[in-house]
Amino acid sequence: MITLLAGGWIAAIIIAAVILIIIVWYIGVMNQLRQLELKVHEAESGIDVALTKRFDMLTKMLETTKGYAKHEAETLENVVKWRQGIPQNATLKEKEDFLGQLNQVASGINVVVEKYPDLKANTVFLELQSAVANTEEHLQAARRLYNANVTRINHIIVTFPQSIVANAIHMEKKPYFEAEDRKRQDVEFKF
Amino acid sequence: MQEKLNQFNLLKKKSEKQVAIGLVIIVVATLLFLTMSSVGSEELGQMLGIIVGLIGGIVALVGAAGFSKVKRTFKTEVLSAFFSEVIPGTDYIPDRGLAPVEVYATEFLKRADRFHSEDLLKGKLDDVDFLSSDVRLEERHVQHTKNGTRVYYVPYFVGRVFRFTFNKEFEGYLQVLEAGSPLTNRDFQKVELESIDFNKKFKTYATTELSAFYVLTPDIMEAIFELEKRNPGRIGLSFAGENLYIAINNNKNTFEIKMFRTIDNAMMEGFKNDLMVIKDFIHTLKLNTKIFKRK
Repeated sequence: MITLLAGGWIAAIIIAAVILIIIVWYIGVMNQLRQLELKVHEAESGIDVALTKRFDMLTKMLETTKGYAKHEAETLENVVKWRQGIPQNATLKEKEDFLGQLNQVASGINVVVEKYPDLKANTVFLELQSAVANTEEHLQAARRLYNANVTRINHIIVTFPQSIVANAIHMEKKPYFEAEDRKRQDVEFKF
Repeated sequence: MQEKLNQFNLLKKKSEKQVAIGLVIIVVATLLFLTMSSVGSEELGQMLGIIVGLIGGIVALVGAAGFSKVKRTFKTEVLSAFFSEVIPGTDYIPDRGLAPVEVYATEFLKRADRFHSEDLLKGKLDDVDFLSSDVRLEERHVQHTKNGTRVYYVPYFVGRVFRFTFNKEFEGYLQVLEAGSPLTNRDFQKVELESIDFNKKFKTYATTELSAFYVLTPDIMEAIFELEKRNPGRIGLSFAGENLYIAINNNKNTFEIKMFRTIDNAMMEGFKNDLMVIKDFIHTLKLNTKIFKRK
């Protein structure tokens, strides 16, 4: 009887230990996913900052261009959907489109520069050109950081058994921020 | 140039001869002591051995001192002119090195108990300022034995440290250390980049993840891989504000002529290659591309 009772206790302790391990593991995975999600959001904010910088620099560049090629600069201005910069509630897809538009403007400015050698010699314009190149680097960095974090979180979301936790807390795969390189190459301006 | 090399080879040979004669005398003294001892004249053997040995030691020391002098003069008279010919404007100061404050600015080389630095190179190449020198860092060890306390120094870094002006402006610090190197001295964030191979080979630490991604573009990661392949030893890179520091722990003392080895064109080519590492770093890491820098 005593042996049976002791056996029952041991089984109960083992079951309790297994449940405890599962709970600790579950919390661990959940925290990891939440932290990674936070990192993805932070990285997305980084993209917003970089997009805003690029938008500001290109706006300044267009202002300078206006002094030499008013019509072309205004045409390029109309390419950008958001005249006041990126809105707070914009989706990732909208940000991708916005980036595409900004890249079209950058390509357009390059076309204008070729037509107006005086603009090429303008020191303010040259400084802005290097600043735009810098914003592009920042944007690339923000995009790569975002995508690296998305890869990490998606990897956990689809891997068993972590996928169980991801499903339980309704965490879905995050979208990547796609580059618009192909679109940029296709841009052709006829002023 | 060849004439100068011949002249130094003659001077070098003279010192080498003295060292060799000194060593032979020491060997003779040892043999003398052993022979005399074996025939029963131990005291006489000891006395003769010490006297002859001392003479040998003095001759060898005079030779070694002469060699050191030749080495110093060779650096100031030949290498200095040679380097400024290879990279115009290069200033080579053999008996000076990077200041400790510069070396510790890398943030990943810990403070040494014994610091030595020499062979300072400074100049500008493709509008990039550079500084470089040989550095030796040693740690003090104390051993307590029954016969007393023994203090000795163990080197933990022997190699070259470089400083370049960096072409990107960013806030904070970033370090790229070859896997297996001691960890960073500072409480930086460990960054995982998107390249699995890069993460395996190097450990990246930064004040912010974004700055690491900004500096370490795929091109630069590739370049660091290439540099690591071309430069044996443990490599560490530290990006701190305006400067990029590179340290190579390769257990090598650069720009030194060797005893009993003729100074020839092959040796000079070796010195040139050690100098051209600077150019290699500047071009491979595209430090001469200034589009990111405000004027």
